[in-house]
Amino acid sequence: MKSLLWKDTKANIKKIAENAPCYYGIDYIPEGKVNSGYITADKTNFEFEVKISSVKEFKKSDEILLKKKTGLKSIIKIESIRKLDKIPLSDFKLNENINEIKTFAEGERFIVKYREKDELTLSPDQKEIIDDAVSRGFDIPVSLANKLIKYKKSLSDDKYEKLLKRVDLELKKREIDPYEAVGIIAAQSIGEPGTQMTMRTFHFAGVVEMNVTLGLPRLIEIVDARRIPSTPSMVIYLTEKYKHDEDRVRELIKNLENTAIIDVADIITDVGEMNLTVKLDKLKSNDRLVTLTDVISALEKIKGIIYNQVDDERILIKLQQESFKKLYQVQEQLKITPIKGVNKINRAIARLDPKENAWIIYTQGSNLKDVLNMEGVDATRTYTNDIIEVENVLGVEAARNAIYREAENTLSEQGLNVDKRHLMLVSDMMTFSGAVRAVGRQGISGRKSSVLARAAFEITSKHLLKAGLLGEIDPLAGVAENIIVGQPVTLGTGAIDLVYKGNKK
Amino acid sequence: MNFNNVSKRIEKIKFALLSPDEIRKMSQVRVITPDTYDDDGYPIERGLMDLHMGVIEPGLKCATCGGKVDECPGHFGHIELAMPVVHIGFIKEIKTMLDSSCKACGRVKLTDEEVNTYRKTINNMSFESDDPEIIDLSLKKIIEIAVQRTICPHCSAESPKVILDKPTTFREGGIKITPKEIRERLERIPDNDLLFFGLNVSSARPGWMILTALPVPPIDVRPSITLETGERSEDDLTHKLVDIIRISQRLRESRDNGSPQLIIEDLWDLLQYHTTTYFDNQTAGIPPARHRSGRALKTLVQRLKGKEGRFRANLSGKRVNFSSRSVISPEPFLSMNEVGIPEIAARELTVPVLVNSFNVDKMREWIKRGSTPRTPAGKYLAGINYLIRPDGRRIKITDQNAEINSDRVDIGWTVERQMTEGDIVLFNRQPSLHRMSMMAHTVRVLPGLTFRFNLSDCTPYNADFDGDEMNLHVIQSEESRAEARIIMKVQEQILSPRFGGPIIGAIHDHITSLFLLTHNNPLYTEGETLHIISYIDVNKLPEPEIKDNKKYYHGRDIFSLILPEGLNAKFKSHLCSGSRGKCEYEDTIEDSYVVINNGKLIHGTIDDESVGPFSGVIVDKIFRKFGPEAASKFVDNVTRLAVGFLSYRGFSTGIKDYDIPRDAISRIEEISNETLEKINKLVDAFRSGQLQQLPGRSIEDTLEVEILSETGSVRDESGKIASSYLGLNDPSVIMARSGARAKMLNIAEVAGMVGQQSVRGGRLNRGYANRTLSHFKENDLSAYARGFIKSSYRSGLNPTEYFFHSIGGREGLVDIAVRTSRSGYMQRRLINAFEDLKVDDERRVQDTVGSMVQFKYGEDGIDPTRSDEGETVDVDYVAYDEFGD
Repeated sequence: MKSLLWKDTKANIKKIAENAPCYYGIDYIPEGKVNSGYITADKTNFEFEVKISSVKEFKKSDEILLKKKTGLKSIIKIESIRKLDKIPLSDFKLNENINEIKTFAEGERFIVKYREKDELTLSPDQKEIIDDAVSRGFDIPVSLANKLIKYKKSLSDDKYEKLLKRVDLELKKREIDPYEAVGIIAAQSIGEPGTQMTMRTFHFAGVVEMNVTLGLPRLIEIVDARRIPSTPSMVIYLTEKYKHDEDRVRELIKNLENTAIIDVADIITDVGEMNLTVKLDKLKSNDRLVTLTDVISALEKIKGIIYNQVDDERILIKLQQESFKKLYQVQEQLKITPIKGVNKINRAIARLDPKENAWIIYTQGSNLKDVLNMEGVDATRTYTNDIIEVENVLGVEAARNAIYREAENTLSEQGLNVDKRHLMLVSDMMTFSGAVRAVGRQGISGRKSSVLARAAFEITSKHLLKAGLLGEIDPLAGVAENIIVGQPVTLGTGAIDLVYKGNKK
Repeated sequence: MNFNNVSKRIEKIKFALLSPDEIRKMSQVRVITPDTYDDDGYPIERGLMDLHMGVIEPGLKCATCGGKVDECPGHFGHIELAMPVVHIGFIKEIKTMLDSSCKACGRVKLTDEEVNTYRKTINNMSFESDDPEIIDLSLKKIIEIAVQRTICPHCSAESPKVILDKPTTFREGGIKITPKEIRERLERIPDNDLLFFGLNVSSARPGWMILTALPVPPIDVRPSITLETGERSEDDLTHKLVDIIRISQRLRESRDNGSPQLIIEDLWDLLQYHTTTYFDNQTAGIPPARHRSGRALKTLVQRLKGKEGRFRANLSGKRVNFSSRSVISPEPFLSMNEVGIPEIAARELTVPVLVNSFNVDKMREWIKRGSTPRTPAGKYLAGINYLIRPDGRRIKITDQNAEINSDRVDIGWTVERQMTEGDIVLFNRQPSLHRMSMMAHTVRVLPGLTFRFNLSDCTPYNADFDGDEMNLHVIQSEESRAEARIIMKVQEQILSPRFGGPIIGAIHDHITSLFLLTHNNPLYTEGETLHIISYIDVNKLPEPEIKDNKKYYHGRDIFSLILPEGLNAKFKSHLCSGSRGKCEYEDTIEDSYVVINNGKLIHGTIDDESVGPFSGVIVDKIFRKFGPEAASKFVDNVTRLAVGFLSYRGFSTGIKDYDIPRDAISRIEEISNETLEKINKLVDAFRSGQLQQLPGRSIEDTLEVEILSETGSVRDESGKIASSYLGLNDPSVIMARSGARAKMLNIAEVAGMVGQQSVRGGRLNRGYANRTLSHFKENDLSAYARGFIKSSYRSGLNPTEYFFHSIGGREGLVDIAVRTSRSGYMQRRLINAFEDLKVDDERRVQDTVGSMVQFKYGEDGIDPTRSDEGETVDVDYVAYDEFGD
């Protein structure tokens, strides 16, 4: 719901407060319906909220209690006024892009409940459920809206209200206790099933040759925030135009796979004749969708050679200036000459996904930046399992989601049931500083503020010596350091102080 | 009440370097003699065991504070080193300081302009709140500029490059700089420039990184021990200090009587070596100092470092009193909240009771009973072990002094009482992987020598009874007892925070028993029913069914007796949801769906899905609706009912369960022969190059994949044949289908065929050259030669099969060994990184320093423990519970 925003003098505001409810003339016509307003005295921070019960066009005959300026255009009725903590202008979504209020503006106050994100994902049905619940005075989380739709339709209104009441009660009962040591619980919840996971590094994920590290090694890799995962791979979704067209997919794969001449052909060196023969391997080249023409066009990049196509699978290469050294060099150069493809993508395979009813490309090797730039790639869904790459290309928020998703997939693939909140906490903890930090010595633990906690974890002497040199102060705020000095920790029941003073005699 | 008892907290700890002056000031004695005790065994004055540094022998008094052993905290002494030496821990810092400061004027080699700008940037950084890593990096960048500069911008003097000759020698232009010179140079750096090294002038000055005086730790830190032979053995640190003093003395003498420079330098180096190893005996580049026996000495750094070091072994975790450990065994007639402890342990472990006006008479009575009281019938009664007087002195109660002491005890004394029924204790099994590894139980004193508990507690502890041992701790303070009772009790831990479902529930035979009791809803006579019900805590009978004038009772009705009134639930049983594909009971809703209406089991079979750990829908629903008390009562009743019923009915399994008809065996034989033939064909095709290569695979890989899929399908096929002859009247099938133990796959292995053995996901291929065993030809790729087992466990394996089976089995064992250590380390790292996180009053997640990690815990502020298996609220169940269908 839109609100009216305006600047006013302190004296005027005081007057409103004294006279409310009152009529107030303004030189502005609100576009939509408004029933609330915010007043600023300093153009940027809003300190007063008013309830507006009606807005009407100004007519000469109207009686106005207060007015802002001459040239009135409309009259609003202010029901009440309330002082607030300062709300910055940035908390409002405005029609115009302005950063201070000169006279009047209309805007919507952001409600900090991930509203923006929800708006994109919620269906009208779900929105209706939530709005309905809010009007009944219940604060129902978005995740429940979907399930309530069914009951809203099938139950009578008072029964539905009863259901909402019960759900609301359940929600209140389930809220997490303040001071709960959620970090330790999350760490235990992820660590404990680790003993039940397989060590098997490789698993054939349904697609030939695409093997992915899974199980415990993968989980360790994720929390380590390893620069390069042991098996980087991508899932490439395609745009509408491409995803049903097998030929286009084939073409795309061809452009994806990083193929060198040696991958598809044999190179035969004839020292006597001082020439080289590139002989295309039928099997390999078919597999990689490479034709002889592709090889020839790749040869163009090599300088100082003359090449001729002998038959449909051989190319004869001669040197412009004959020398054994050069011959050897060319031979080596030929091997690694790229024919096509994206750097680091070693293999790509398309699969007709039955659920999507569309082609999806799976790759071995990952290069998110270049792949996203390719035509036909659906950049909104294409995915890589390389967390650091996600961070570099898409930013830290994306990396946070990638960590969550990878951890979740790894655990559920092993059939282990771990609450998503624990995984969220891990991914948030790893990324909240603005960059991906590993769990361990070089990451989170190594940057704790407490000297004792760092010393207790790893590399004891280094931390102690350095602390002395820098004159560090350990505030004894965390868990490890308080245990070391023998005091109660500041979590859970240790976070509160309760002293019984008894009756004074 | 004494208000002075309100505990105080240490607010903060500041770290700093000791200056030589400070070392001297805090020293009680300057140690000059490298010896310890004289011939009479008395500490030598000014020796390393001087009485000024504390006492370790009973009878002697500390010369500094006059305290006796246990009273004197120990005091430092010091050694004046003849010549200064570098401190091994600060080599790197010394190097950068030498590199970046001017040799002549001592200024950091930065121009005034640079000094001004960088000073501003450094002053803007906050050492408390900023990321220490970033501060480190930016400081390094600044220093690097000074290091690169050879000409001093202030006095234009040239400073040649300083080279560190590891570990402790510095050279400049090939000439050694003595520690003395280093000290002079470091001292010359003006205070204003120290900030570029991150040095805090108030806590450390660069000159202090060169040692001129060495603190000697108190004797309590390095106690000597007397061996049985009467020989004294000194601590490693004392040994090292002896070396240092000895060399320091010789160096001083040599220097004073003008020995050749060469000898002095050698001695100086030796002194450097000894002080270096005194601090860290694992310094790279120098041989570790050794004990006479050849063992490397454990010096200061080694004492602190690593798993056995002070930090991890003595500070982060401690050995405690009032604890015990014993073998565990099961006892279904205990509640899940109880633990049975042997009398011998109960008599040894005590609870302190503060004597006050309300209990003084009772306590006097108890003390009179002595330390081993019993009822006239010989039953255990708690006795008193010790009295603690208000001044802290302890009096041991014996049968002789019990009478006298009972009169002496008064208000303000503390009585250490033996354990009694109902005391709350902590019970723990290692490895303690989650919080349910340590839970609070109430005590039952039982005959025997083992700890005993209800079988439903096995899952959270991950315990079995093949020799497992567990620990028990008696809580000593009232506050802790209250917390244990409210938070840690077993019943409070029924729901796991990992997935928001029950982790406590019936296991093994208990599930089998309830399955038999409720499947097909059998009828029991009145006598039978009364016998079964006598095990549980109910005082009513279900509605009987009258047949031929006799009363009969349904199994489901008997089970309903232990369900609380008002419970509603509807779910698929394990019998159905457990089987892959369509289950034969799918259509008979009677069996596949458990329906509980207002605490009555309407239909369905009770099995793992209802009462087992990890799934246990009924346990879950009871806990949520009726609370922990009701849930624990239900689980207790489940164990009792299950044991009661099963001991009446009887249940056994044996090799006979796996007997299948002759023609089934021959059919399995047939399909396995078919498969062998197929495999042979594949091998032939491969040999002749006819095999169709899979895309992206080598031809060898293709063959392996094809063969593996063949062997996989034949095992499944034979399993299907075998299990088609084994129905729900077969005990092992009952166990598998009810979820009590094992899977149908295991039954298939016993009755049908064991199948292909594998290592790392492929067929066996290692051992001898090009073959697995010497029984086969080289490069034999046939099924038998590569680990295929066509026998069943029941029919027995032939020798090669047995061998292959062991190979496959070993992989599992190795896997477990590797996995436990890897996952253990991962968990340690996770806990270390996350231990400081907590939820604040507004359900945000912060660490203890105040960094905000999440604005709403888990995005919804819901406790995973209380969530419906992760879901915020299970609306469907709420609606069902509220309105029925």
